Amino acid sequence: MAMTSAGSGAVPRINVTPLIDVLLVLLIIFMVITPVKPSRFEAKVPAEPKDQQNLDVKPNPLTLVVSINSATRAISLNNEAAGDVTDASALTGKLAEIFKTRETNGVFREGTNEVEKTIFIKSPTTVKYGDVVKVIDAAKMAGAQPIGLQIDDLTQ
Amino acid sequence: MGASIGGTDEYNSEINVTPMVDVMLVLLIIFMIVTPLLQQGVTVNLPKDMNTPEEDSEITKDTSVVISIPNNTDFYIGKDQFPLTALGEKIQSMMKDKAPDKRIVYIKSGVEVDYGRVVEAIDTIRKQDIDKIGLVADKKKGGESPQK
Repeated sequence: MAMTSAGSGAVPRINVTPLIDVLLVLLIIFMVITPVKPSRFEAKVPAEPKDQQNLDVKPNPLTLVVSINSATRAISLNNEAAGDVTDASALTGKLAEIFKTRETNGVFREGTNEVEKTIFIKSPTTVKYGDVVKVIDAAKMAGAQPIGLQIDDLTQ
Repeated sequence: MGASIGGTDEYNSEINVTPMVDVMLVLLIIFMIVTPLLQQGVTVNLPKDMNTPEEDSEITKDTSVVISIPNNTDFYIGKDQFPLTALGEKIQSMMKDKAPDKRIVYIKSGVEVDYGRVVEAIDTIRKQDIDKIGLVADKKKGGESPQK
């Protein structure tokens, strides 16, 4: 009697292991897809040129202008070649060097005691946005802050 | 003998997985619901693997102004398409309640978009007396931090 109950009473239990496997994988997939914290580059835009013809604007000799060549995708820093868009580490190196000498020499932004690390990015309008962002990234790697986007009088 | 072992005295050594499965299912459903909600606006091919963008939770807030430029022809604020001429007015009305230091417009532009189109958007933003722009980009996992 006891023997028969043990033999015929097969417990109808579902094998849940594959189910858990699938669930775990799905869970992980959704966790990965969930976007990471959004991040952004902060850039500044120079004020709109209004009636500034009469203003006596003194050009800042410390200003660094990074420009991109639309045809060759080369980057130049104050008209000096500084690598190209595919490998912007040359720009990072150059900028870092400049900022370092400025730090040791104590070159400050006018009226403050912060080292002048302003850069401007000037790019022709036909350059792809992705390339411009790469340049911004490279400049920030060197510690440039603030980054200005020159948006007037751009070439094609 | 055999019956008594198999029947009453044997401990069941299997883990009871039912509560675990319950928890998993709930988590799964939560993620399935939350994932589409987190994605706001239109899909844009953002610049990826950037080393230095700062995290900014404001980007996903409903109140912040995010201009999406998925291609060379369209501008979107949130999920609505706007022509370039109407962008300024929309930005102005969205920005009017904000403190001056909070006046930042985020730009989500695809990598293949011409910089000229982005400049047109920035030019419109600037006409609203806003000089801070946030260029949204995806941060590389474990990216290097900028030199100090």
